[in-house]
Amino acid sequence: MTSESLGAAASDFPALLRRHGLLNEAALAAPALANPSAANFTPTQATTILAFKFTGGVLVAGDRRATAGNTVVYDRADKVLEIDRHSIMAIAGVPATAWEMARVLEHSLQYFRRTQLQEMSVDGKVRALSKLLRDNFGFVVQGIGVVVPIFATYDFAGAGQARLYFYDAMGAQFEVAEYAETGSGSPAVRGVLFYENRWGKKPLQKLSEQDAVTVALRALDTAADADTATGGVDRNARIFPIIKIISCDGIKTLPDKQIAARFKSTVA
Amino acid sequence: MIEEPYRWVEAIANRREYIETQLAPGSPIAALSFRDGILFVTVGRARQKLFEIYDRIAMGAIGHPGDIERLRMAAIELASTEGFTRSAGDVSLRRLAFYSLSPLLKTAFEQVYGAPYLARMIFAEVGAAPADDLFLRVEYDGAIAAGGSAADAKPPRFSVISGTARATERMEELLRRDHDSNNTLKTALRVALDAWSVGSMTADEESAGGLPSPEALRQRRAEEFKGATIEAGLLERSSTSAIRYRQIDAEELQGLTSA
Repeated sequence: MTSESLGAAASDFPALLRRHGLLNEAALAAPALANPSAANFTPTQATTILAFKFTGGVLVAGDRRATAGNTVVYDRADKVLEIDRHSIMAIAGVPATAWEMARVLEHSLQYFRRTQLQEMSVDGKVRALSKLLRDNFGFVVQGIGVVVPIFATYDFAGAGQARLYFYDAMGAQFEVAEYAETGSGSPAVRGVLFYENRWGKKPLQKLSEQDAVTVALRALDTAADADTATGGVDRNARIFPIIKIISCDGIKTLPDKQIAARFKSTVA
Repeated sequence: MIEEPYRWVEAIANRREYIETQLAPGSPIAALSFRDGILFVTVGRARQKLFEIYDRIAMGAIGHPGDIERLRMAAIELASTEGFTRSAGDVSLRRLAFYSLSPLLKTAFEQVYGAPYLARMIFAEVGAAPADDLFLRVEYDGAIAAGGSAADAKPPRFSVISGTARATERMEELLRRDHDSNNTLKTALRVALDAWSVGSMTADEESAGGLPSPEALRQRRAEEFKGATIEAGLLERSSTSAIRYRQIDAEELQGLTSA
């Protein structure tokens, strides 16, 4: 019941869960799709997310669609997940794995803060997600549990700045200076963001919040046009992308109304 | 030594006396409901004595730092695994204290060849209204007392711990008189500090009769604060965040304690 182990192990939440048998490792040894029926199994997938830095911090946006093969499973999926007061994990990939990963990460950071009486460093948080991705590699090899997240946070060290990372499915993290995108709609998004950053009226980092929202909505609209798995704006059902902004003050979720107005005036 | 029942009882009594002596100089801690949450207050010299356990649960403790640490970790582990495997709403102070901590403490206390936990703790869980707030005092032998005495028809929305039973009694006496669950944070902090001062005075001197005057309390505080600082934390009643605990920093305390 009490933790008699000392040091780092005592503050590691996944290790605690394993000790209690509450966290299963993805079976690395299992051969890929050994079961013939597994070959027909199509996991649910979440799609396009993007993030970029602007004058007000870092903006993270995602469409709302989840698909399995050609089927739309869900049109109100939330892929932009708050991990703590200043961190967001946005996910593309299999939500079953990704949401669980986000849950473990969220609890890990809180557990660390509560037990160690200090906030985990940004490097520590980035590494914690990397470890979760590596632990998930068994599912990746089997082709049924790929998760490719973006991690955005605010770093209070030094003068303070927004930090932005994307990952590959094996857990390598890459810090970016300007923008990141993943998911099936990401080629289109990447083109839009590259274009805006290079030849737009202003580079992304100089954009006001209003203009940043416009760019995010246009990028997602472009992706939805090119990629069937990306949900666009559903005007009848009033489903809009999720947009969150991280600054030194914390995380702000833009209300649908504001996004709708912006969409109407600058995108539609 | 403990083959005979009488010896065992004697050993337990000795152990109780030893622990009480060790806890006696502990700086009192008061926790009380106010309009916007639950306030924890103590005065300390060096080490932290108020801790966040989970989203809506906090703890204060006096005793040996090593033992407090083990109990704190046990409480956080239990709450965190429960919150992860089920949901944050399933984490309850009542279950944590009665079903997990109490048996652990009792076992350690009664195994006379092992070391007992040298700690006395106060836990609080914030609810939607002051009437839903829960206060529990957890003793080194696993005994648990809800806030106030069981005789009260309406349990008071506060609880205190201190080094001696007498100091605890006097603190409760003051809080029964001065505490109101609808107080503002500023008033709640003043009342909590009064309670702390009464507890700290009682520990030092033979104190018979009624409660000391407000002036005497204030003077006492001025003396005590020369070498120590106020430590305060609060569980917020309503917040956009699931995490309700926050420490009150020195700057905010300054504003709250100034007249």
